Amino acid sequence: MAGAESDGQFQFTGIKKYFNSYTLTGRMNCVLSTYGGIALLVLYFKLRSQKTPAVKAS
Amino acid sequence: MNENLFASFITPTMMGLPVVIIIIMLPSMMLTSSNRLLSNRFHTFQQWVVKMITKQMMSIHSPKGQTWCLMLVSLIIFIGSTNLLGLLPHTFTPTTQLSMNLGMAIPLWAGTVFLGFRHKMKSTLAHFLPQGTPIPLIPMLIIIETISLFIQPMALAVRLTANITAGHLLMHLIGGATLVLTSISPPTAMITFIILVLLTILEFAVALIQAYVFTLLVSLYLHDNT
Repeated sequence: MAGAESDGQFQFTGIKKYFNSYTLTGRMNCVLSTYGGIALLVLYFKLRSQKTPAVKAS
Repeated sequence: MNENLFASFITPTMMGLPVVIIIIMLPSMMLTSSNRLLSNRFHTFQQWVVKMITKQMMSIHSPKGQTWCLMLVSLIIFIGSTNLLGLLPHTFTPTTQLSMNLGMAIPLWAGTVFLGFRHKMKSTLAHFLPQGTPIPLIPMLIIIETISLFIQPMALAVRLTANITAGHLLMHLIGGATLVLTSISPPTAMITFIILVLLTILEFAVALIQAYVFTLLVSLYLHDNT
């Protein structure tokens, strides 16, 4: 198991500073954004199924 | 034969009342406590075993993890003694019941996870993404790591249940085969009996090893989260 990771040893700029797979902060943000994305997808499909009216038999 | 095979895994009742609670409490009744500094041989041996287990299991932990010492040492002694008592003929082994093993695994695993989220939120969340993962693989790997986290308590419980149940079933089958072969072909029965003896020795080892593995894995989950 790796010891305490030092975020200071990696110098990222731009969006990579917050979303990367090397620093603790970057990894945490990637995880949270993945979970957020999944939650949004689920919400989208749930709302879409509620809006679509039920097909009536002819 | 088929009905008898699984009869030993049915939760025992006496006149309609479940006696499984007494069976689960039995190992603790057999372990002594003493208020003397130097006690008898049995109690001294018991203390030596507990000390050895404590040193072995708790040396890797931080002070925060070592607060779980009583829980982990009790766990390994309980599972080990229950498994060993279950090797006696015609006894019921509580650790063959998935319900009981899930009841041990899920709260312990959940406790370690909640501890991790409470005290090291950033580090615990970052654990879901291994360091150095290529960018295209990030979402998939996070999902895989999440699934593997939730599988941990299931694996803990099913591993213990399956190992103990399978061992008992094998002993039952080979013992039955030995008995039947005694009248048909004594030399073959002798070979089967030797296999049964070797299997029994293996089951003694498995009983202790499974207790150690269960507790070690809980200890590792705790170490990851403290």
